[in-house]
Amino acid sequence: MELILFYIAAAVALFATVFALTRSNAAHALIYLIVSLLAVAVIFFLLGAPFAAALEILVYAGAIMVLFVFVIMMLNLGEEGQERERQRMHPAVWVVPALLSTILLVEMVVLLTKFDGPQTGALITAKQVGMSLYGPYVLAVEIASMLLLAGLVGAYHVGRRFRSNDSDEQSIAKPTPESREVNN
Amino acid sequence: METGIQALLAPLVVSIVALILMMQIAFKRHAIVSWLLGCTGFILAILALKPMADIVPKMVTPLLLSDQYSLFFSALILFSGLITTLLAKDYLQNRRGENEEFYLLLLLSSLGAMILVSATHVASFLLGMELLGVALYALIAYPERGQLPLEAAIKYLILSGAASAILLFGFALIYAVLGTLSFVGIGQALTQPILEDQQLLILLGTAMVFTGIGFKLSLVPFHMWTPDVYQGAPVPVTGFLATVSKGAIFAALLRLFIDAELYQYQGLMLSLSVLAIASMLAGNLLALKQDNLKRILAYSSIAHIGYLFITLIVYGVLQQPGLAVEAATFYLSAYIITSLAAFSLLSIISSNISETDLDDISHIQGLFWRQPMLALMLTIALLSLAGIPLTVGFIGKFYIFTAGIEGSLWVLLAALIIGSGISIYYYLRIVFQMTMKEPAGGSGAANMDPNSVRLSVLSKFVVWLLIFMMLYLGVLPQTLMEYLGGLSL
Repeated sequence: MELILFYIAAAVALFATVFALTRSNAAHALIYLIVSLLAVAVIFFLLGAPFAAALEILVYAGAIMVLFVFVIMMLNLGEEGQERERQRMHPAVWVVPALLSTILLVEMVVLLTKFDGPQTGALITAKQVGMSLYGPYVLAVEIASMLLLAGLVGAYHVGRRFRSNDSDEQSIAKPTPESREVNN
Repeated sequence: METGIQALLAPLVVSIVALILMMQIAFKRHAIVSWLLGCTGFILAILALKPMADIVPKMVTPLLLSDQYSLFFSALILFSGLITTLLAKDYLQNRRGENEEFYLLLLLSSLGAMILVSATHVASFLLGMELLGVALYALIAYPERGQLPLEAAIKYLILSGAASAILLFGFALIYAVLGTLSFVGIGQALTQPILEDQQLLILLGTAMVFTGIGFKLSLVPFHMWTPDVYQGAPVPVTGFLATVSKGAIFAALLRLFIDAELYQYQGLMLSLSVLAIASMLAGNLLALKQDNLKRILAYSSIAHIGYLFITLIVYGVLQQPGLAVEAATFYLSAYIITSLAAFSLLSIISSNISETDLDDISHIQGLFWRQPMLALMLTIALLSLAGIPLTVGFIGKFYIFTAGIEGSLWVLLAALIIGSGISIYYYLRIVFQMTMKEPAGGSGAANMDPNSVRLSVLSKFVVWLLIFMMLYLGVLPQTLMEYLGGLSL
C-alpha cells in the first residue's frame, strides 16, 4: 500500500512542480509550489520521517511561501490590483491546486488511520533528530547559526543600498562611470 | 572536551570576535574601532594556531579534524583575511556609507573557510562552504553605489546556489548507496563490493559533486560567472574571493578526494583531465582578449586552478601521494601570496585615484613614470603569476611540472606549457602598458598628480611584506618545502 501512496504523492509533486515552473503569473506558480512541497512532505512521512515532514510544512509551505505570497500580493495594491485579484480568484486558477491538495489530504487520512511504520528503513522520531543534532552534530548547529548571522548582516546591508538610494538624490544624479566590455 | 576547545581555538576566536564586532556596531558605529576589532580578531586567531599545533591531530566531533594540514591552510586563510582587512581601511575610507559590517562579514567568511579546510564530513563541508559563500555575496555587493557590484553579487548568488544544490544532490546519491557521510567512511564503504547499478549511482553522485565544486572553483566549462564577478566586486573583495574562497575549496576538495578514495575511478580521472586541460587552455586564451585588469586576473585564475588539478590527477595515476599533495599545497600557497599581492596593488592604485575601481588597462598606462615603485611591484607580482624564475610562482609551477612527470601525464604537461606560454603574453602586455608614455589627455594614472598620491604606511607595509614573501620563497623555498613535505592528510 505504501508503494501506491508513494507513487501518487510523487506524481502530484512532479505535476505541481512542472506547473509551478510553467505559470507566467508569480502568485499562481507559488500556489503550485506550495502543493509540491506538501507532496514532498507526504513522501517524507511515508519514508518514516514524520519530523522532517512537519518541518517541511512548517518552514517551507508555512513560513517561507506564505511570506512570498504576502509580498507579491502587497505589491499589487490599488484599483488595478483589485481587478487582478478578482481574476486570480477565477475557478480555473484554484481548481487544480485544490484537487491536488485533496488527493494529498486523502492520502494523509489513509496514512494516519492505517500506517504501521515505513516499508524500508526505520521510523525516525523528533527525539532522535534532537539527540543527534545536539549530540555529535552540535558543531553543525553552531556553524549554521553563524551562517544565519552572515545572511542577516548581508541582507541588512544590501537592503540598505536601496533605502539610501531612494532618499539620496545625489547618488542618482551622479552616475558612476562604468565602462564595460562585452567580450567573452 | 578541554582539548576539543583547544583544537578549535582559532575558529572560536574568530567567532567570538565576530560577535563582539556585531555588538559594537549595534551600540555605536565607528569605522576605526570596527577595523581595529577586525584586525585584532585575525591576529589573535593566528596566535591561537600555536596552542592548536601542540595537540594535533585531533578529531573534534565527527565533523572537524584539526591537523597540520588544516592548520597550515587556516594560517593562510587568516593571513589573507588580515591583508584584506588592512587594505580595506584605505579602500573604504574614500567611499561613503556604512563600512563597519565589511569587517564582520570578512571574519565570518574566513570562519567558513577555516571550517571548510578542517571538514571531514559532508555536513561540515557544506556548512563551511555556505558560510564562506553567504558572507561573500554581501561582500561583493558591498559598495552602496554602482550597478556592477549588485549584478556581480546576484550572478554569484544564483550560480553558487545552483552549484550547492547540485553538490548536495550528488552527496545525497552517494549517501543513498553507502549510508555514510564522513569522508573516511565513504572511502571505507567504497572498498566493499558494490552492486553494478549502485556503482552507477555513486559515479553519478561523484560527477555531480565535482560539477558543484567545479562551479565554485570556476573550472571550464563552469567558469562563466568568474570574470563578471571579479570585475563587479570591490578590489579587496576580489582578492579575498580569488585567494581564500578558491584556496579553501581546493584544500577541502583535496581532503575529500583522498579520504573518500575517489581517485580509484578511471572515468572520473579522465573527466578531470579534460576539465583541467580545458581550463588551462580556455582560461589563458580568453584572457588574451580582455582589456580589464580584473577580468584578465579572473581568466588567469581559471588557468591556475587548471594547473592545480594536475596534482589531483597525478594522485589518481600513482594511487599514492608522491609529490602530488606537496605540489598542490605549495602551488596553492604561491598562488595565494601572489594573487594577494596583485590585488593589493590594484586596490592601492584604485583607492588613491578615485572612488570607483580603476581597473581598465588604460588606467595604468604610464604608471612606471608616475609611480615607479608601485609599477615595479605590480610587475614582480605579474611575473610571479606567469611563473618566471626567482619568484615563488616559478617554484610552484616547477613543483607541478615535476609531479606531472612523476605521473607521466604528457598531455596535461603539454597543456601546462602551452598555457603558460600564452599567459606570458597578457601578463607582459600589462607591464608594457605601464611603461608606455602617458597618453594625450588620458585618464587614470596618467593624469594623477604625483603629490596627491599618498601611500599610507599600512599599504606600504602590506605590499612590501607580500613582495618580500614572493621573492624570498622564490629564492629560498627550502623551509616551506620541508614543512609542506611533512604535511600529511
